[in-house]
Amino acid sequence: MPGGDFHALLFVIVAVWILVCGLGVVLFRRIMYSAVAMVFCFLGVAFAYALLAAPLVAVIQILVYVGAISVVIIFAIMLTEVQTGRLELFFNRQTAVAAITALVGAAVLAVVSLSADIGKVGDQSLTPGLRQLSRLIFDRYVFPFELVSLVLVGAMVGAIVLARREGERP
Amino acid sequence: MNALFWWLLVAFLLFSIGAFGVLARRNVILVVMSLELMLNAVNLALVATANFRAGAEGAGVLFALFIIVIAAAEVAIGLAIVIANYRNRRTVQVDTYDELKG
Amino acid sequence: MEGTAYLQIAVALITLLPLLGFIVTLLFGKRMGRQAHIFPVAMVTVTAALSIYGFVWAFGHRDETFVWNAFDWITAGQFHVPWGYQVDTLTGIMLLVVGIIGCVVHYYSIGYMHGDEGYYRFFAYLNLFMFAMFVLILADSYLLLFLGWEGVGLCSYLLIAFWFRKKSASQAGKKAFIVNRIGDFGFTLAMFLIFVVTGTLEFTGVFAAAEKGDISAGITTWICLLLLTGALGKSAQFPLHVWLPDAMEGPTPVSALIHAATMVNAGVYMVARSYPLFVQSETAMTVVMAVGIFTAILASYIAITQNDIKKVIAYSTISSLGFMFVALGAGAWVAGIFYLFAHGFFKGLLFLCSGSVIHAMGGEQDMRKMGGLRTKIPVTFWTMLVGALSMVGMIPFAGFWAKDEIVGATFIAGEYVVWVVAMVTVLLTAIYMGRLIFMTFWGETRADAEVQAHIHESPPSMTVPLVILAVPAALLGLVVGLPPEGGWIHGFLEPVFYHPHHAEFRLLGEGGALMLASLLTVIVGLLIAWWLYVRQTEVPARIADRVPWAYRASLNKVYLDDIYAVVPVGATLGFAQWLWDVVDVKVIDGVVNGVAWLWGRIGDGLRPIQTGRVQSYALYMFGGMVVLVAVFAWVWGS
Repeated sequence: MPGGDFHALLFVIVAVWILVCGLGVVLFRRIMYSAVAMVFCFLGVAFAYALLAAPLVAVIQILVYVGAISVVIIFAIMLTEVQTGRLELFFNRQTAVAAITALVGAAVLAVVSLSADIGKVGDQSLTPGLRQLSRLIFDRYVFPFELVSLVLVGAMVGAIVLARREGERP
Repeated sequence: MNALFWWLLVAFLLFSIGAFGVLARRNVILVVMSLELMLNAVNLALVATANFRAGAEGAGVLFALFIIVIAAAEVAIGLAIVIANYRNRRTVQVDTYDELKG
Repeated sequence: MEGTAYLQIAVALITLLPLLGFIVTLLFGKRMGRQAHIFPVAMVTVTAALSIYGFVWAFGHRDETFVWNAFDWITAGQFHVPWGYQVDTLTGIMLLVVGIIGCVVHYYSIGYMHGDEGYYRFFAYLNLFMFAMFVLILADSYLLLFLGWEGVGLCSYLLIAFWFRKKSASQAGKKAFIVNRIGDFGFTLAMFLIFVVTGTLEFTGVFAAAEKGDISAGITTWICLLLLTGALGKSAQFPLHVWLPDAMEGPTPVSALIHAATMVNAGVYMVARSYPLFVQSETAMTVVMAVGIFTAILASYIAITQNDIKKVIAYSTISSLGFMFVALGAGAWVAGIFYLFAHGFFKGLLFLCSGSVIHAMGGEQDMRKMGGLRTKIPVTFWTMLVGALSMVGMIPFAGFWAKDEIVGATFIAGEYVVWVVAMVTVLLTAIYMGRLIFMTFWGETRADAEVQAHIHESPPSMTVPLVILAVPAALLGLVVGLPPEGGWIHGFLEPVFYHPHHAEFRLLGEGGALMLASLLTVIVGLLIAWWLYVRQTEVPARIADRVPWAYRASLNKVYLDDIYAVVPVGATLGFAQWLWDVVDVKVIDGVVNGVAWLWGRIGDGLRPIQTGRVQSYALYMFGGMVVLVAVFAWVWGS
């Protein structure tokens, strides 16, 4: 168990939280319930980042996922129809095969990472501090950083073009 | 059985849950949501590995940040497509989008 | 060799200028309209002057052979084919013939083709022809000669089928092309054989090998016979002569230039050029002579009954070319080239005259509807008379000296059968040429009244070339052929044919007697023609009634076209039909359709997988990824 008893307890709580909320996302029939479960799942992941000594990522997770993406998705849900009805309306015909494949996938990954030589793992945090991260972003990875800004601009323009109605002037 | 493995196991399971949602759910918005779960799983694996493995120099955390940004862009575009499609077809059932059937 | 720099420039320009004329005329001729002839005619005029320069050079350096490899034409690894020029006295003679007649025909065409819708196209093709012909005669290797050879064949096709909207013209073009292919096939095989045996195709190398005895006698014979096959096609000899009469569908200047004076001589030229090979094979020489004499008498026999004025001249051309082959086969090489030289002028003249007659008659080519044109188109009449007398071999015109040398050579060589046949041919020639002249120019006119009213002499652009060509047709023999068997041309060509066939000519000996016999035969023939077609005009019909089989055989060209239609052509068509019905429809289509059917069924089987639903594709992808991860872990896992 990672990092002492207290830490181990936190890990178990966070892990169960994330997985239960994740299952809620894919299993709820009411899509609004799924959305709420998703928000909680994102929060759980943010706690996990905090536990893994990456406070910056945790903060950004809350800002972007919990704040922005969830809102956008809830907007999209409200713009489209809300379904009610029998089970077949929510799950397609390949549900059983999909479930088996997903489980097998997880099992294979687990077995692979177990059998692979993960190497020396310490209990203490190796995550770099904010100063070191900034240096990485603006020095070594400055080119990907700039590219990402371009992607964002493109996505913005694309989303506007796609979403506006035909013949409508922005 | 060390700490990293347990964190990775959580990430794998979350990834599988997301994959199941993508493959099995009929509502296209839920498919997009499940995709987000998968991305989160990947981020979790990256940050966990960066935390426990020496020699990564913070790249894991940095990649996680990049993925979050890309995910935001992906959601914006994906939902715009969903909305545009919904406007034309009055449905969000993903298995009715089958014009390419052979 | 001093002064070759000028000659290099000259030969380069001789080939380049007509090519330039061709390209420019083809690209811009349409826009120049009625002025389309100016550029190509200028090009050819300069070329003619340059080719006269080439002749003069050969005249001054008769013991030298000028060889110049201008550039590498084909390079493939160790294998090089240079683009090489060769000039010697034989080339000089050919340059003179091609250059002068080509130039004259170009000027003639300005008047003859006036107003034709393909005016510019005609001159473009003529220039292309000049280019190819000059490449042919200036080439220093068989390969380059073959390039020109194929080039003139192409132009011949294009120009025969010049009025391609006329079905018969396009058919004639195809016929010429296909029949020539047969000959070219032999030529190609000959080149392969030469290359295999000697490793080169350049004349100097090949002939050096031949003279050293590097080529065995059997191989030499085969090479010669295959080369001869090529010559038979190009020079319209039996059994490949059938294309030439049909080629008269083309415009008359084309007939004069290509099918009388230049291209058809290419076969003779090629055989003469290959002299060092041919002299080593008795068999080949005999075959050359046999083919020549048979063609000569066959063509004369057919010519007697033809009614189309151009067809008569066409058959006379075949006959004349046969005479040239007889000369080559009999070892009288110089006489053969002498006859080629003279023939180019008088046959070109005859064709141009016939063109002028046709022009005057408003397009009529049938001699039965002519007559009495003597006074109406006097320039044409007099020049054509000169051409015809030269053709039949009347003293002192050019044809006489050349033909007499050939006929005499056969006798002196001891080929008495050939000599007798040749004399008969001479007689027939005199009769049909006399028939042509008398039917066209003597007697009462048989034309319709309307045509008669429009009969007029041709414009100066047509009559001046006639007069220009009439001069050599009349006087060439006197200038270069006297004394017989020892004239200037013999000395001139001696460096090329270096085993000269020296026969002492004595007026009061064998030579004189032969000459007298030949001359008497001609006069008798002309008198018979005069009697049959001027005095007793009903007699020919009675003769035809008396021996109908002979008449019909002649009229129907000895049924050769019909035989060809059944045997090679019919067999080929039958084979093609079989290929279509059985091989193509059943086998090939079966395989193609079968393959399509197979994949169609496989597709049908696979179709359910393609649901069109994005999630099923995602499932395949995800499942595939899981499998891949498992496989990689298993294969490379620690």
